[in-house]
Amino acid sequence: MTLAGGLIVGAALVAAGVLLAISRRTAGSSLPVQALGTAVIGACGGAVVVQGATIGSGFEGGLGLSAAVGVDPLSGFFLATLALVCVPALVHARGYLAGARHAAAITAMSGVFVLAMAGVVVARSVPGFLAAWELMSAAPAAAILLRSRDESACRTVLLYLSLTHLAGVGVWVSMLWLANAGAITDPSALAGEPAMHRSLLALAALVGFGTKAGLMPLHTWLPRAHPTAPGHVSAIMSGVMIKVALYGLVRMLFEWLQPLPGWVAPVLLAAAVVSCLGGVLYALVQHELKRLLAFHSVENVGIIALGLAAALLAGQHGHEAIAAVAFAAAMLHTLNHALFKSLLFLCAGSFQRQVGELDLDRLGGLLRTMPVTGVAFLAGAMAIAGVPPFNGFASEWMTLQALVQLGIADSPGGVVVQAVLAAVALAATAALAVYCFVKVVGLVLLGPHRQRAAEQATEAPASMVAPVVFLALTCLAIGAAPGLVLEPLGNLSPFGPLPGDVAAVAPRVPGSGAFAPLAVLALVVAATVVLQALRRRGGIAAPSPVWICGQPRSARLAWTSAGFTKSLRLVLDGVLRPRRSVEVVGDATGVASIHHASEVPHLFDEVLYRPALRGALGASRRLRRIQSGSLRAYVTYLLLTLVGVLVVVRIGGE
Amino acid sequence: MRGAVLPGIMQVAGLALAPMLPGLVQQAKARLQGRVGAPVHQPYRELRRLWSRSVVAPEGTTLIYRLAPSVCAAAVGCAVLVVPVGTHGIGWLGTDALVLAGLLALARFATAASAWDPGSGFALMAAGRDLMFGVFAEPLLLFSLALFALGAGSTDLRTMAAGAGDAAIAGSPAHWCGVVALLLVVLVETGRQPVDNPDTHLELTMVHEGPLLEYAGRDLAMLHWASAARHWVVLVLVADLVMPTGGSATWGVAAIAACVVALCMALAVVETLVAKARILRVPALLGVGFAVCVIGLASAVFGGVQ
Repeated sequence: MTLAGGLIVGAALVAAGVLLAISRRTAGSSLPVQALGTAVIGACGGAVVVQGATIGSGFEGGLGLSAAVGVDPLSGFFLATLALVCVPALVHARGYLAGARHAAAITAMSGVFVLAMAGVVVARSVPGFLAAWELMSAAPAAAILLRSRDESACRTVLLYLSLTHLAGVGVWVSMLWLANAGAITDPSALAGEPAMHRSLLALAALVGFGTKAGLMPLHTWLPRAHPTAPGHVSAIMSGVMIKVALYGLVRMLFEWLQPLPGWVAPVLLAAAVVSCLGGVLYALVQHELKRLLAFHSVENVGIIALGLAAALLAGQHGHEAIAAVAFAAAMLHTLNHALFKSLLFLCAGSFQRQVGELDLDRLGGLLRTMPVTGVAFLAGAMAIAGVPPFNGFASEWMTLQALVQLGIADSPGGVVVQAVLAAVALAATAALAVYCFVKVVGLVLLGPHRQRAAEQATEAPASMVAPVVFLALTCLAIGAAPGLVLEPLGNLSPFGPLPGDVAAVAPRVPGSGAFAPLAVLALVVAATVVLQALRRRGGIAAPSPVWICGQPRSARLAWTSAGFTKSLRLVLDGVLRPRRSVEVVGDATGVASIHHASEVPHLFDEVLYRPALRGALGASRRLRRIQSGSLRAYVTYLLLTLVGVLVVVRIGGE
Repeated sequence: MRGAVLPGIMQVAGLALAPMLPGLVQQAKARLQGRVGAPVHQPYRELRRLWSRSVVAPEGTTLIYRLAPSVCAAAVGCAVLVVPVGTHGIGWLGTDALVLAGLLALARFATAASAWDPGSGFALMAAGRDLMFGVFAEPLLLFSLALFALGAGSTDLRTMAAGAGDAAIAGSPAHWCGVVALLLVVLVETGRQPVDNPDTHLELTMVHEGPLLEYAGRDLAMLHWASAARHWVVLVLVADLVMPTGGSATWGVAAIAACVVALCMALAVVETLVAKARILRVPALLGVGFAVCVIGLASAVFGGVQ
């Protein structure tokens, strides 16, 4: 069967799954069909990447309504990522949605979501791209509303849809302008346009695709929308939807918008650095698991954008090899983040189903009651923290190398400073991610149970355990052998092939030492096994209470999320601006109780969004005075408009 | 190649020689304070004593408590096998500088996660502080390594060590700014004053010692060894980047050894002269390192040495 036939079969299977869910009103029979269809789509996409082929039609310029589809290596890579995330998510949904309200409708929406994302990636005509884009934005909103209809869910969906569409203006303007100029098929079409037009195009594209991807300061919908969606839909949103936005950004900046204005790469680099640091800092002070994971998505999108910006900078200054390495690092991190973020969200879904809530201060000890999910969650946490030998470290190492090599190479002074400072910011992000995920692992998996439900939780059913185990093993495999993925990535690069050693067993970027992840994994595992055996030979472990220097152990002295991060909160007081309120309830006879509440408000909400919202509402209130209701006023408006148009025509005619 | 054998042997022997470095520092501190002090090989006696005891199993702990000392020791052991002694490294795990930060992060992750398992307040407080120092020390380490890489033209540790012998690179201001920053990182990684006091178990001064409180026997021996191996990793790294080790391999190894001994003496002098800084002031101290690195970066970029 040809690859094109395989893609059609896969899409048909997913559509069949959606129809099954709608007609039979059950989720159980539809989800395996959808998962199978998605797996077929992903396999075909992967085959396209590995072979480096292009199937279907190329991009069609112009604005004609056509349903042209085609798959080239970049599209194939995103299809493979889609499958690697959506197949485990759909299998997980089988157990997650069992007994949930509107399970069939949510399943149908998931299938539509998957088809819409695949449609964005394979669309080869601008109207087709935009139609699939809008469907991709609408599907998760429907899934959120199906799950719960209360006021906060409605407000979240309204915010998500309005922000996405405000930013979607950027996507529509840039795509339609490019199609009109014919730049989609002809890379030299924009060369004659004035620089101001190209700058406006680039700004529209950055705002449009950047909002959907979740770059700071355009990210505010992400931490609100991702936690309220059903478990597997959150995984797909965080794992794939924001990557599809980055796909659009890659097409725009690397293929269609040539020659790129000079300010785009430094601005993207700055936005990426702000996303990295801001995302992880705000994640640190969250105490709800899914909101924390959503902020980490912002951070990782920043890391991917760092790689893309480094590739742009390197390409603009003639270092093709470094640009290829940076682009490959960004693509590898796209895949890695999709894998470990969906792993973490699916585990969170399992915890939510077995325990009932996800407040970090009210879980605890889940490694004892849910061992397999717990170990998979630990693997995901180590991967996202960027700790060897998992895959997060491999892609972060490559991005760091690309930035440092860009500094070492013969570049202008400003580029060297930008590259080195961006590398330092990425190292700070990695250290903050370690801090955050040690806290998460400790609060969720270890320590005493903090409520009855955590104590009574049992291991999730097999349909929810198997996907997370698969994702954890994939993270470890890619971390140990990143060369397996880097080799086909050479077919994607717009900067020519990857330098020889990058895809080797011990990857080596030109100008760096070798890094042997397989040897590190083997040595760490071997040393741990040997040391554990020696540990047991030393005598039977003496069972004892926890020492705590002789103090009694009390549940009321158990550490909270805020307590563990307090030292960093105090040091970064000026940036985070936490708010504290202490209320002492008592009278002359003594203190009855003391209430303490503290929170870290989101700086962007306070400084950027609320004032903008207030300004917009105030301006529209003032504008509403035009609608006075008086007929005479309206006739006057019509006369004034007519006179104005005649004057303009008269002036224009001269 | 005959020349590369001795440095390779020294690097692997670092796994066994590492405990001598804290012993040297303690002996020097004792002499400076007018005491006789324990002999230089006291840490070996300590390790042998701990090795003969059994481990404990606090109630309610899971496999993370059991695995963490082994993983921490394995991670720092890998870091020892990455840092070359001079310009020849064994290269089993590669010789890239940026891998060091990752391996030390793995060790820090294992230790800090193990503090959550028993749930002891002292261990958690210390783990939080350790991670907070890591937030500022890891970027400073990367900044200084980037400065050295800018001078030497590669992030391979062997090339960076060879750059120390090149007069043009070793004489540049960027190189010495990087050395100053790296010495601050040494203070944080080894847990010496003014960052932390390794001699006491007081609540105020526990950063590295905190998670160790719940361990006994062979587990504690592995964690003590890991702490000593961290000394080896950062001190040999500084010695590589400061001493010219080109030429004969034997003289190179001797130069590194002399520099490491001198750095241990310097650590003892700093610990004796300087009081411990407030925990919340340590990031400001590391901020001085960042400022020095920015000056070094400006000098490298606009001063013409690249």
